[in-house]
Amino acid sequence: MTGKQAGEPHRDDKERPSSGSGLLQAVREFIYGMAAHDMTRYALKTRSSMEHLFILITMGDMLGVPILPPYYSMRLLPYVVPQVATWKRRMLREKDLMDAIF
Amino acid sequence: MNSVFAFVLAVVAAVLGYYWYARYFDQKVIVADPKRATPATMYMDGVDFIPTSQHVLFGYQFKSIAALGPVLGPIIAVQWGWLPALLWILAGTFFIGWIHDYSSAIIGMRNQGETFGALTYKLISPRGRVILLSFMYFYLLLIMAAFASIVAGMLKGMSSVPFAILVLMAVGVGAGLLIYRRRMDLILVTVVMVALSLVAIWLGTIVKIPGGFNQWVIFCLIFSYIGAVLPIWAYTQPINYISFYLVTLGMLGGFLGILVGRPQFTVPAFTQFNIGLGPLWPILFVTIACGAISGWHSLVSSAGTARQLEKETHARYVAGGAMFMEMALATLALIIAAATFANFSAYREMFGKLGAGGVFAHGLSALMSRIGIPSELGSAYAGAMLVILALTIMQLVVRFMRIAMAEIAGDAVPILGNVYVGALIACVLAFILTVTGTWSYIWVLFGGSNQLMAGLALMLVTIWLAREGKNWRFTFFPMVFMMVTTIAALGITVYRVVGNVGKLQAGTLAPPAGQTLSMAIGGNVITALIGAFLIVAALILAYDGLQAWNAACGKPAQAGTAATPGDD
Repeated sequence: MTGKQAGEPHRDDKERPSSGSGLLQAVREFIYGMAAHDMTRYALKTRSSMEHLFILITMGDMLGVPILPPYYSMRLLPYVVPQVATWKRRMLREKDLMDAIF
Repeated sequence: MNSVFAFVLAVVAAVLGYYWYARYFDQKVIVADPKRATPATMYMDGVDFIPTSQHVLFGYQFKSIAALGPVLGPIIAVQWGWLPALLWILAGTFFIGWIHDYSSAIIGMRNQGETFGALTYKLISPRGRVILLSFMYFYLLLIMAAFASIVAGMLKGMSSVPFAILVLMAVGVGAGLLIYRRRMDLILVTVVMVALSLVAIWLGTIVKIPGGFNQWVIFCLIFSYIGAVLPIWAYTQPINYISFYLVTLGMLGGFLGILVGRPQFTVPAFTQFNIGLGPLWPILFVTIACGAISGWHSLVSSAGTARQLEKETHARYVAGGAMFMEMALATLALIIAAATFANFSAYREMFGKLGAGGVFAHGLSALMSRIGIPSELGSAYAGAMLVILALTIMQLVVRFMRIAMAEIAGDAVPILGNVYVGALIACVLAFILTVTGTWSYIWVLFGGSNQLMAGLALMLVTIWLAREGKNWRFTFFPMVFMMVTTIAALGITVYRVVGNVGKLQAGTLAPPAGQTLSMAIGGNVITALIGAFLIVAALILAYDGLQAWNAACGKPAQAGTAATPGDD
């Protein structure tokens, strides 16, 4: 779940062709940004909330939350490792109203 | 004066502001560095922090900041004449607006993408954050009341609009189901649903639905309540998505109408200093908020955009550029009010009859008639477009209000953290304020709270610049102007509202149409209390901010952030 999921609009500037096609691409991205970017972000947020809840239940002891015997956690660990750093940061980061709005 | 000339002036101001002033500030004061890691690249989690193309972000930023504010503010402000309104839109954006949006994004980026609540805690004071959150709740409440009042007035006066709105609700829900559940092609669903909405607008000119003011207020609140309690993908998002195309088409129609018709301004350049709304200074400067400067933008820039900027050097294009584009939108709104009526009396008559929304609908339909759209259809389209603009925001605002309620009081009183209860309380409060309050005062308070937020954002940036050893004067003077002007505007409004209570009790002032004496007194008291709260909150924040600024000025520049030489 890390990385540039919505890959098509999140391209580096250097990868973008110049001149006319570059302008067309910029216009496309602009329209996407106005029309659908926030929808994409909400979808990603919803998915990440579910995933993080699942990791919290299975891997909560990494944050000091006592959980079930770690057999299943150990089985899941290889799949979760790539997300552990991101998950910890999101769970422990201070949040307020503005996080909910945007 | 020809309206095209006003538009050209706006373009010139935007080009100068973007390529000269903004570039100077970006390169010499902030010293934006394309190689410095941004929160999006440092903390990339694929959700909040995600490096995003600058063009996508430009669209996202513009859509998030441009709503009803930049459209209605100039339409109302034309009562002072078109010249003061135009000057404030251009000068406000040039000297304050873009720097506010841009530096809010920069301060977010240079502080690990923290929100304004956390930044206020860190840079000003712990109590500043509590005040900010409480302040936010009242700000959202005022948005609800101001917009509900406009929409209800419109729907009551234009019976050709409600049918299209009802169909749009169904179309939006259908689009959500088709996109998310049936996983149908997005473009196909978009084309079909937008076409259906356009047909519904046309049918609205035949199927008219009458209703009273209070009935339409309740309708708006039910619409918003449903949006606040249902999953966002099922209702709010698809409605907003389809609405986006309708609004964009309407705006394009307006721009084309100006270019084709090139109408002359028909209202006076300047009417008088004191009008019914109040004196030009300070009331004009809060009446036009979003088109010149708006505190809402700082929230979008810091918590939303700053976490997605891939490079620091993108901030000028994304945050500054979007603000200059919004200036063009505000200029369009000004032209709609000032150049599409036969004379000033016609404008005032329409304003008295249907309010600012009616002026917008009439004006935009007049512009669209220049490109061949029949006047009746154009009027229904413009009316529906304005209602859509308001409703799409209102349903999000109720959602935010219930989250704010849970955040502020959910721990102490668990029931207030309940989704349904929080949304219900938000709707009830909005209803009370809408049906008892006076719209013009609510609008000024709404603008005032918005501008106070802008003042606070500029204060945060000033303190941060001082702490970093950079030239803080670029934001200090705009901050002082905004704080003084806004507190003065709120003070005048509270004074007038309190005066109205006395007059109502003495019988020298009649209650507004549709209100009883007790309702009018109650509405004025509530308005005065909200205004007083905003003033007190602003003064406390200003006091704390002054202390923090003093401390920051006496402090050496922080390690690793070199002071910028010769930036004066």
